[in-house]
Amino acid sequence: MTASTTSPTDQTTSGSRGTTPPVPEGAVAVTVKIRRFNPEVDPEPYWQSFEVPALPTDRVLNLLHYVKWYLDGTLTFRRSCAHGICGSDAMKINGVNRLACKVLMKDLFAGDGKQTTVTIEPIKGLPVHKDLLVDMEPFFEAFRAVKPYLIAYGNEPTRERLQSQADRARFDDTTKCILCACCTTSCPVYWTEGSYFGPAAIVNAHRFIFDSRDEGAEERLDILNDVDGVWRCRTTFNCTDACPRGIQVTKAIQEVKRALLFRRT
Amino acid sequence: MTELERHSYDVVVIGAGGAGLRAAIEAHEQGLRTAVVCKSLFGKAHTVMAEGGIAAAMGNVNSRDSWQVHFRDTMRGGKFLNNWRMAELHAKEAPDRVWELETYGALFDRTGDGRISQRNFGGHEYPRLAHVGDRTGLELIRSLQQKIVALQQADRREHGDYEARLRVFAECTVTELLLDSPEPGQAGPAQTGPGQDTGATPPRVAGAFAYWRESGRFVVFEAPAVVLATGGIGKSFKVTSNSWEYTGDGHALALRAGASLINMEFVQFHPTGMVWPPSVKGILVTESVRGDGGVLRNSEGRRFMFDYIPEVFKDKYADNEDEADRWYTDPDNNRRPPELLPRDEVARAINAEVKAGRGTEHGGVFLDVSTRMSADEIIRRLPSMHHQFKELADVDITAEPMEVGPTCHYVMGGVEVDPDTAASRVPGLFAAGEVAGGMHGSNRLGGNSLSDLLVFGRRAGLGAADYVTALRDRPRVTEQVLAQAERTALAPFANLAGAGPAADQENPYTLHLELQQVMNDLVGIIRRGAEMAQALDRLDELKRRAEHVAVEGHRQFNPGWHLALDLRNMLLVSECVARSALRRTESRGGHTRDDYPRMDPRWRRKLLVCTADGAGVEVAERPQEPMRPDLVDLFEFTELQKYLTGEELAAGGAERAAGRSATEHPGERS
Repeated sequence: MTASTTSPTDQTTSGSRGTTPPVPEGAVAVTVKIRRFNPEVDPEPYWQSFEVPALPTDRVLNLLHYVKWYLDGTLTFRRSCAHGICGSDAMKINGVNRLACKVLMKDLFAGDGKQTTVTIEPIKGLPVHKDLLVDMEPFFEAFRAVKPYLIAYGNEPTRERLQSQADRARFDDTTKCILCACCTTSCPVYWTEGSYFGPAAIVNAHRFIFDSRDEGAEERLDILNDVDGVWRCRTTFNCTDACPRGIQVTKAIQEVKRALLFRRT
Repeated sequence: MTELERHSYDVVVIGAGGAGLRAAIEAHEQGLRTAVVCKSLFGKAHTVMAEGGIAAAMGNVNSRDSWQVHFRDTMRGGKFLNNWRMAELHAKEAPDRVWELETYGALFDRTGDGRISQRNFGGHEYPRLAHVGDRTGLELIRSLQQKIVALQQADRREHGDYEARLRVFAECTVTELLLDSPEPGQAGPAQTGPGQDTGATPPRVAGAFAYWRESGRFVVFEAPAVVLATGGIGKSFKVTSNSWEYTGDGHALALRAGASLINMEFVQFHPTGMVWPPSVKGILVTESVRGDGGVLRNSEGRRFMFDYIPEVFKDKYADNEDEADRWYTDPDNNRRPPELLPRDEVARAINAEVKAGRGTEHGGVFLDVSTRMSADEIIRRLPSMHHQFKELADVDITAEPMEVGPTCHYVMGGVEVDPDTAASRVPGLFAAGEVAGGMHGSNRLGGNSLSDLLVFGRRAGLGAADYVTALRDRPRVTEQVLAQAERTALAPFANLAGAGPAADQENPYTLHLELQQVMNDLVGIIRRGAEMAQALDRLDELKRRAEHVAVEGHRQFNPGWHLALDLRNMLLVSECVARSALRRTESRGGHTRDDYPRMDPRWRRKLLVCTADGAGVEVAERPQEPMRPDLVDLFEFTELQKYLTGEELAAGGAERAAGRSATEHPGERS
């Protein structure tokens, strides 16, 4: 494993040629330690550190942008909306799965004037393509496998299907999912058994199983009763802790388990 | 040339937001083999950020609503510059598109009797926005994504392959549209695209050239029809609510392929973006905050919007706080609060307050719900906003006001299309959603975007399908065209390898920041002739420097290279904005000029049309189509007097006197 440190004034390393902007007042120099990997040249991943000025109100995403714009233009990560709605920038920050756009630096500063180090790695359990960018296809495959769409029989209504406010509220929590993969890639079972559907897929099945308009619950429950289904869950609650949308993921999985136990056969 | 990955489809949709996915679903349902090509992961499109809702006159909350009222609101919001046929189709079809989305499984908040609930929004006369809390865009995308998964699984049962009829190419960026030049007499069916030259057969769309973001390898899509659904251009501005994808790709692809753009001078600055802390500047605060009772105050505590009600809206908006507050519970007998004026009006008012020294510490104004509703109610009605301010700004909106200011949000301008088919003037090229122009005129109403995506996404899919079905021969892509596209895409690497001195090499990130600063400072919310002329000089210089953009590293997921290619699009589109804005010597909707502060009825009759040849952007004036008489009749004469010239008013009267009715010439364009 190799490590190197690049300071903001060092323009000789591979990267952008732009000059760095003035350091804003109140900024603290922090070390951003990133797990790098370029499959075209690197035999294996390594850690690289950058010195970056950070304001308490900066988010980790701002620091990554700083590195990319001013220090190393090849740093690769996904991001899109930048405020926690699209679910593109899931990564492991100081050991836990978070969206980079939702972690404020003020919550990461080391106390007592000590040097702050932020470690950033790709989410675990999915193949790494480059740097912080992982192959999401296995994740989406599990999502698709639970039939994540409304299944209804009979004639389509000309207007809307009616749904009471209580029925609509029943599955509100699991409709908030943004498919960021924070939950699935925080799950120890998923790390060791990639065939496990994982929390996110179950959340998206829950979203339809408990939708009063849907008639496909039995099909989905059959799928989730499978050897790679909900019974793999060991209720470690990592997923609930990791969810940036505050979804009660473990509870949703438990509700699906209960539905299986008490299903009409 | 290295071996290229090739795919052949009937219809290629570029962009996987609401418009693109709805277009793809439609093309698939018409039996055509369809591909969706998108820059991001499937399901992460910018549409997810829409918070307010989908405007559709379903009348679920107030039964007096109808397509006619929605049409009127849309035309008023756009200051009558809208393509009225698009506004008509949109108002008529939006309810069906919402109900259809519901049958796909979309979640909606419900009324007491279980129907889709509708909320108030700026510029809409009745509660009209179908919504899910404040995450409607996310639910719209997810529902369309789920529908596509359902179609693919059905295809697998029938054809043995999920992707037999519909495939999504995610994280794949299109750099160029490919054209063929058919032999005389070999042209496809006559296309009803706007502004087509007669005579010589124009080149037809033959496909698209793209690269996989992951591997950097090139891929060719051969297809007789392409639907552009790439969204907007906001990443050309410094303070914006738009995500990274919004680099004007579709606008630029269309221009380079020979299509025309209209209304590019009209850029919407959403009145309420976050202004503090700097790291989140520009991020949107949904208009629902105001629809649900939030009020705007300056640093002196004054509800200043009462001072900014323009003449044309005086009879619709309350001029005192008591009446405004009564409206929330009794909308039939009171005028609306001025906080709910169309976005352009509110953005200008905030800008004026800050400029007059009555802004907040960080250069915004206060948006307050904390004194208007209980904490519980705020958390229930605006959960995402509560969360967003708590997490990103450490502000509890149930206890203190938010600081907000204008942020670049939406471009009204886009590809000039036929309203009914979404066809551009290039045969085989279609456009829908934000990348298409006309529908919203000079200013878009909140909520009209999501409905626009569904209505015109479907129509573009249908238009493309009809076009392909009627084709007699498929266009061909020549090797020469491909070689050129490849050379252009690789230029940033060639620049690094080239003999030029390192000092001449340009960093794409630096150029991008400079472009954003130029557009923000010189072609922003308030414009002046001299500044825009200066902006054009700066853009020229940036364009020259961009020819020397050099990127290091390999083609595999190289963000610097990706930006270098996006930059080319942003520069071209920014030039369209600046040239059109300089040309239009009036203020209207999303185009405000300090040196021409008034709206001029003569300008309402003119559209500015951008085209590009190799050298640069040309802007030409084109007369606006007169509105169909039955649509004119939906307005009071006194209201029309505010927008139309005397000559137009007289002509409208003459047409009605001659007894021409709408049914004799529906949708006729000339």
